[in-house]
Amino acid sequence: MIEWLKRRYREDFGGDPLRLALAMVGLAMILAVVVAFLYLVVGRTLKAVWSAWGWDVVRLFLGMVGVMAVVFGNALFLVWAERKVAGHMQIRIGPKEVGPYGLLQSIADSAKLLAKEIITPRLVDRPLYLLAPLVIFVPCLVAMVVIPFDARLQVRDINVGVVLILAFSSLTVLAIFMAGWGSVNKYSLIGGVRSISQGIAYEIPMLLAIIPVVMMSGTLSLKGIVEAQSRLWFVAVQPVAFLIYFISAVAETNRTPFDLPEAESELVAGYHTEYSGMRFSLFFLAEYTNMFIVSALATVFFLGGYKGPVLPGVVWFFLKTYFLIFIIMWFRWTFPRVRFDQLLNFSWKLLIPLAMANLLVTGGLLKL
Amino acid sequence: MVAEELLRGLEGLGLEIREALYERQGFWFDIHCPRDRIVEVAEAFDEKGYWIEDVLCVDWRERLELLYHFNHWEDPRRLSVRVQVDPADPEVPSICKVFPGAGWHEREIHEFFGVRFKGHPNLAYLFLHDEIDFYPLRKDRVPIPEEDKRLLTSMDFSPEEEDAFWINMGPQHPSTHGVLRLILKMRGEYIERAEPVLGYMHRMQEKMAEVRTYAQYYPNTARLDYVGPLAFSQCFVGAMERLCGLEVPERAQVIRTITLELNRIASHLLWLGTFLLDLGATTPYFFAFDDREQILDLMEGLTGARLTFSFFRIGGLYEDLNDGFLEGVARFIERMKKRFQIYDDLVTGNIIFVKRTKDVGVIPREVARRYGATGPTLRGSGVAYDVRRSEPYAAYSDFPPEVVVRQEGDSYARYLVRLEEIKRSLMVLEQAIERVPEGPFRLQKTPKKPVPGEVYFATESPRGQVGIYIVSDGTDKPYRLKWRSPSFSNLAAFTEVVKGQLIADAVATLGSLDLVIPEMDR
Repeated sequence: MIEWLKRRYREDFGGDPLRLALAMVGLAMILAVVVAFLYLVVGRTLKAVWSAWGWDVVRLFLGMVGVMAVVFGNALFLVWAERKVAGHMQIRIGPKEVGPYGLLQSIADSAKLLAKEIITPRLVDRPLYLLAPLVIFVPCLVAMVVIPFDARLQVRDINVGVVLILAFSSLTVLAIFMAGWGSVNKYSLIGGVRSISQGIAYEIPMLLAIIPVVMMSGTLSLKGIVEAQSRLWFVAVQPVAFLIYFISAVAETNRTPFDLPEAESELVAGYHTEYSGMRFSLFFLAEYTNMFIVSALATVFFLGGYKGPVLPGVVWFFLKTYFLIFIIMWFRWTFPRVRFDQLLNFSWKLLIPLAMANLLVTGGLLKL
Repeated sequence: MVAEELLRGLEGLGLEIREALYERQGFWFDIHCPRDRIVEVAEAFDEKGYWIEDVLCVDWRERLELLYHFNHWEDPRRLSVRVQVDPADPEVPSICKVFPGAGWHEREIHEFFGVRFKGHPNLAYLFLHDEIDFYPLRKDRVPIPEEDKRLLTSMDFSPEEEDAFWINMGPQHPSTHGVLRLILKMRGEYIERAEPVLGYMHRMQEKMAEVRTYAQYYPNTARLDYVGPLAFSQCFVGAMERLCGLEVPERAQVIRTITLELNRIASHLLWLGTFLLDLGATTPYFFAFDDREQILDLMEGLTGARLTFSFFRIGGLYEDLNDGFLEGVARFIERMKKRFQIYDDLVTGNIIFVKRTKDVGVIPREVARRYGATGPTLRGSGVAYDVRRSEPYAAYSDFPPEVVVRQEGDSYARYLVRLEEIKRSLMVLEQAIERVPEGPFRLQKTPKKPVPGEVYFATESPRGQVGIYIVSDGTDKPYRLKWRSPSFSNLAAFTEVVKGQLIADAVATLGSLDLVIPEMDR
């Protein structure tokens, strides 16, 4: 660490104490401005709102900040983790230059993406083209609200949490189609069309795999579902449903082997071919957030959520979630891509009937 | 034998047949055919099961001479049909109804020499851009006549039907590996027609050869196919040795064989990686490149280059073996043998990979024959044809490689053939490194100016049969040099099998053909 600081000092400041001092003064000034801003604007506003609505607003505010923190922190970590995982699976070591173990690589990357020029092709359908990155990103934030990270660490426990999450995650398909159609590019369009049929095909088995869980726990609240697994995780009683859910989840997030909407060797980059800079990275961010959400839901529905011995619940929750994410990455770096008709056949001819049968058996056994 | 039967039949038609000197010319028989009877002759060849190797043209100033090279899988002897054309009225019946593979060769001759092929469905230019105003390979500057100029841009992209659309795959596309451009007519995700546009990498290699001496042109041979350059170099030096009647030292021949086989393995490994990349699997790529890197290191020690080795010389090699090369090859063989398990685990048994490639892009025997497909593409379609066996060059007669054949003809078969060929190449290497004879590694004296004459030489590159046809007029520069590139014919066969495929299957088929664009653009 000391060595690293010394090297930074030598390389970034040329070993000149004056330049270092100037930089420090500049940093202090920025900090002062930020603190003043927080105190004056946010502090006063909070005070005013506090007297009007009380705790709810604080909770909302903290929730928003927390969700954003989780979303961005998760994306930064996953980008790094994916490159490391890929590297080690491919007999190389992945990023290693920026920061210890290359941990700051994703920060450097996001700085680069922020600095990039945002190009808007002349012939695009402007409203659709501009809205698509937002439409794909915002539902991710909403879905985060109902996820119970720990027994008491949840922004809002809604009694129809499952429905809310499923409803909002369906919006991804809409956004991808907006991007594909709005780009006025044949490759993007094919990607968008693929995305719709894939989204519909895999949402049904996903839903059908969740229903047995809901039936067994008797609630639609995510926290309730976790609490129902106090004695036994649902994966032990519903292994088939877990598999179906997990496969559909990989397909829903457009990850290899189901990454047909953005199949590189066929469609160049699919629906986001025409996007650049921060607009592109919003798609990227949404992909990683979605990966986190589906894995977190798998944890909640099947792996007992935050339940676990010794360690605090939130640690268990993240451990389980990131383990599932690791498996998704593992898929990506070992499998080729399936073909489009095989993908649809797999869902309609295998997963959906299987999920139906599973549902019937569960229902029958519960009635007995 | 098939050839004698055919020649008897052709004699019955009243054609003049002359025996050629294979040791000096590279083909067995010359068949002189009047211009208007070429279709008839082609039909006779087709009937006997011949495949088309090459069509080329030589400008003799007072006449243009067209040469059609035919060969047979079971009776591999090259027959050359010659047609004389008057440059004032360069019109010849097209044989692309009989051999569709000749269609592209005819287009090439049309744009380079101005020979018009009657009955050709689409004589649009293949390589050249549409501002060119003369025929580049004619010895005199001949302007393109006005009525031919429309052929420069004769492609019609207007959608003929309601819901069909055109899509441009390339020249910048992740899965065309370079600058191949395919114009696809799509109906949803299904391809109705594919029209390749070549020439984005065209360097007019054949004209370059005519303005350089033989020694100056030689390094260019490594720039044609940058993945398997030695097969092209061997083709060139082999042709020159055949033309001059040189006896290459035994040591040089064995070392050539070793480097050629190493190069073949490196090329197949690169193909393996990129093919899997086309199918969406990234990891095998790194394993394949790791193995390929070992070969490149060995070759770098020997030749000084990692990609475009200019290692062969007319009459031998550039340099003798360096210390430790043979031990390095032995180490590589040991290492590589253990690696097949990884590829089998990661790729061969992978259910998604099998589903993506099995029964995809089936090239039937007949299609391969009419289009002149060669190499692993042909052997995947159940034909045991390998130039290393049928016309042994270098030291292949001492170390004959086993020919790998699969009957299915699909992309999976082509994958298995190539993987198996790596193993067979390792076997050849194992024998060869044990038996490198002592002696000189090149001839002391080689002629600067070959005797006048013509020569054909064929080698087996990792992609298929490479052929070279050189006409020497006794000066130090070739009068005419023509390459037969394997990817060119294999891609022509692709346009036939791609019809009705899904775009994802087209990518899988294209990847399985192992195309190298600079080689077919020349």
